[in-house]
Amino acid sequence: MTTAPTHVSPAPAARAASAEVTAIDTTARGPLLFLLGSGIVWLVVSGVLALITSIQLHSPHFLEDCSCLTFGRAQALAQTAFVYGWLGNAGAAIALWLLGRLGGAPLRALNWVLVGALFWNAGVTAGLVGIGVGDMTSFSLLQLPRYVQPLLLFAWAAMAIAGVLAWSGRHRDHTFASQWYAVGALFLFPWLLSAAQVVLIWAPVRGTLQAVAANWFAQSLWSLWLAPIALAAAYYLVPKVSGRVLPSYRLFAALGFWTLIVIGPWTAGRHLIGGPVPAWIATIAVAASVALLFHYLVLVLNLRVAVGAGGTAGKFVTFGLGAYVLGGVLDALTSFRGVAVETQFTVIDPALEQLALYGAISMLFFGAIYFMVPRLTGRAWTSSGLTLGHRFLVKIGLVILLVSLGVGGWTQGVDLLNAKTGFADILGHLNLCLLAASAAQLVLLAGNLLLAVNFFQSICVWSAAPAPAENYLEAAAVEARVS
Amino acid sequence: MRNGPLFLLGLFAALTLSWAGIVLGSNAQLGSLAPYYDDAEGQSFPLRAPGIANRGQLVYADLGCAACHTQQVRRPDFGSDQARGWGDRQSVARDYIFQSRPQLGASRFGPDLTNLAGRKPSAPDADDLMNLLYAGSERHPAYKFLFTERAIAGEPASIALKLTGNAAPDAGREVIPTERAQSLVAYLLSLNNGYDYPEARPIVNPEAEKKPAPAAAPATEKKENAPAATPAPAAQKAEGKK
Amino acid sequence: MSAPVKSDPRLDRAAVSDDALLDAHEQLLGRQPDDQAHYRLLPLNLLFIFSGLIFFGGTYLNRYSAHFDPRAYNEEVAPGQAGAAAAAAPADPVAVGKKLFNNAACNTCHQSTGLGTPGAIPPLAGSEWAQGSEERVIRIVLYGLQGPITVKGAQFNSAMPAFGKVAGGGFNWSDDKIAAVLTYVRQEWGNSAPPIAKEKVAEIHAKEGDHKPWAPAELEKLP
Repeated sequence: MTTAPTHVSPAPAARAASAEVTAIDTTARGPLLFLLGSGIVWLVVSGVLALITSIQLHSPHFLEDCSCLTFGRAQALAQTAFVYGWLGNAGAAIALWLLGRLGGAPLRALNWVLVGALFWNAGVTAGLVGIGVGDMTSFSLLQLPRYVQPLLLFAWAAMAIAGVLAWSGRHRDHTFASQWYAVGALFLFPWLLSAAQVVLIWAPVRGTLQAVAANWFAQSLWSLWLAPIALAAAYYLVPKVSGRVLPSYRLFAALGFWTLIVIGPWTAGRHLIGGPVPAWIATIAVAASVALLFHYLVLVLNLRVAVGAGGTAGKFVTFGLGAYVLGGVLDALTSFRGVAVETQFTVIDPALEQLALYGAISMLFFGAIYFMVPRLTGRAWTSSGLTLGHRFLVKIGLVILLVSLGVGGWTQGVDLLNAKTGFADILGHLNLCLLAASAAQLVLLAGNLLLAVNFFQSICVWSAAPAPAENYLEAAAVEARVS
Repeated sequence: MRNGPLFLLGLFAALTLSWAGIVLGSNAQLGSLAPYYDDAEGQSFPLRAPGIANRGQLVYADLGCAACHTQQVRRPDFGSDQARGWGDRQSVARDYIFQSRPQLGASRFGPDLTNLAGRKPSAPDADDLMNLLYAGSERHPAYKFLFTERAIAGEPASIALKLTGNAAPDAGREVIPTERAQSLVAYLLSLNNGYDYPEARPIVNPEAEKKPAPAAAPATEKKENAPAATPAPAAQKAEGKK
Repeated sequence: MSAPVKSDPRLDRAAVSDDALLDAHEQLLGRQPDDQAHYRLLPLNLLFIFSGLIFFGGTYLNRYSAHFDPRAYNEEVAPGQAGAAAAAAPADPVAVGKKLFNNAACNTCHQSTGLGTPGAIPPLAGSEWAQGSEERVIRIVLYGLQGPITVKGAQFNSAMPAFGKVAGGGFNWSDDKIAAVLTYVRQEWGNSAPPIAKEKVAEIHAKEGDHKPWAPAELEKLP
């Protein structure tokens, strides 16, 4: 036969069962559940902070007497808790788990993971306190005070050791796309953070070059750290859940990977259009944003079999991939000067950021978490109601948030271009959209609380009464039967 | 992807390449940008801000003012920045070379502050800014934590806020700005981009240059209208592009 | 593979084992291109799109990079036009002259109003000397003036210092600055004499060398 197989041939049942619940999961259980649990706590914390900032936008006097929650600080707190608290913790857990599973051997250096996780969370906590008392830097996505940044660097490096060991010690010669993305993210983050720290904190470059460097960091954080972890999860879960071979995988998966890694960081300058930096910085960013569309095209080709995937993980992954591709296309579109003149400095920017960080990355992480936790604990999630409720609320909340910020941003952009419209009017026109955005933040927070309850319930049930053998095996048997 | 070290090296190279291109590249071009010496004025620009203003910039940064206010004016055919009276020219890299933490900002829920102290016809003075920070407005939060209220001992302090209406303290009491508030206001009052650098002028298009060159008859007409006239062709051209 | 009969939201079932997943994709990677019937059509389209995107990016970069000029803030700038263009367009001599007049020593004696001090310093506004012969005013500012002079019918007898780069001058202004301040004086306060070109100043400067301050009587012999 000359055509490529579209379905993975079913493995012998015995082999599948042994592959599904093994020492790979059970040995890594402690550190990984700790990472996931702290990530979910930070997700809830950042949800509360995001709600506060959202309310402050339409009611500026909300909590104005609290010096640690001025709008600027609350926004930095929410962003830091979200990116470093939630995405950092959960991302580390997901990347390590994938590398362990695909490497075919239990993770090594797990003590380092635990130590790294403890220090990472200590660093994020100290960072939030530091921002609250006024030690934040003014760089987007790097507001962490300078004194906690080295801590995060070493904490991540400690966690990444296990991942790189699992990758280099894998049982097969060949590697799978998930492994490239996961290793890339684990390996690059320390370099990325230290490169940014050198030029921004320790030996700061002059004047507006700081803005250039800060934008490079923020873009690289997305292109080289967050997006790769999320895509590692997607490349693993899509064939895993659908049972289908990824189409066009052989020729294009690697090209898609390298397009993201090589071209992604070059799109940094698109936020500096019209600003006090040389024009070529923004021009390169526009050209790179367009070339990067190829990466999104490859993803669509490879992962299109996700559409219609069943199960909680499958549905989250489909949603997340849709948001990822949509975000990429919109990023390229809004980077053009003719569009940027409308959207620059408006709430379109936060809307696109939410689409990327929440719509794409977090949704893919949710999918991975729903798939991982039963395998780590050996039991299904305790509540299907909470699972369904979480999925429903975050999707609804996110759609409301994006639509309201998008519509609001567009009216704000039109108003800003008209020099006769004063700021009182501009904000007046925005009011309804900002109220809707606050409502959306509330819905998102409620949804994530359901996730937290469900997660900690599942953990408690498991730790209070170790899974009975039949229950444990049932999960494995179900997987074997399905394949 | 069999070759582990080569793979990691490739990742590292991709990261380094973009870092070198964007960060080091722009640093090589602008890292040693010098102040502009104006022969006629007999001094260099930008002027160095006083020390209290530099401390004020750190207050501005740690309160997160940049979350709502930008400090970058774009060129006349790109946005309405100059039409709103935020400055008479676009901001250029040279404006920021003496600032330890430039606060470009990326979001405008409030007006741009690049040229706050140089606004025409009237720029806010220290009293206006103190009152706004203390009492807030409909769309601006009040930062009362930057002030202390105390009983007047003897004469009222000269730095006490001149408040009226609801915001005024009870009789016999006065509101004193803390050192942070004073340095923040000093910083805001140092924001002025009144000096015109050569690179900040709108570009002259070839069509415009073919007209009787202003250089040929430098003083036959007062050139006040010349800077206003140059943006027009650029604006048309930009619109045509879109 | 049969689709799961009923999906349980509490537990996502895996359709395949890790090994099967890796095997399937590993086989794909190890496969020779000829094995695939779909190979020819699909990748060619994709490669075409990829080259199209790269081509667009390259063209855009070439068109709007402003030649990587660090002083170009507008992507439409032609080579060498940024900053240089503005610098080549000379600064307005009237504006420069006004700054010189008011920031240097001129206004301390002649006043910003150009009216001078009655009985001590001659006025510039409406002055027949200021609006008169180029030859004379250039010499006055370059080398200074000493001796009795009649301006607008009034007698004055005070000394004016040399402003040019001449021996004994304390200001050492370039010929450009001399031309600018003279142009300003000749066009301000209702004065309306033609501007002074810096070439003319340079010519007189070269001709006279290090002359001593001029006496009004000497100047009146000049055209």
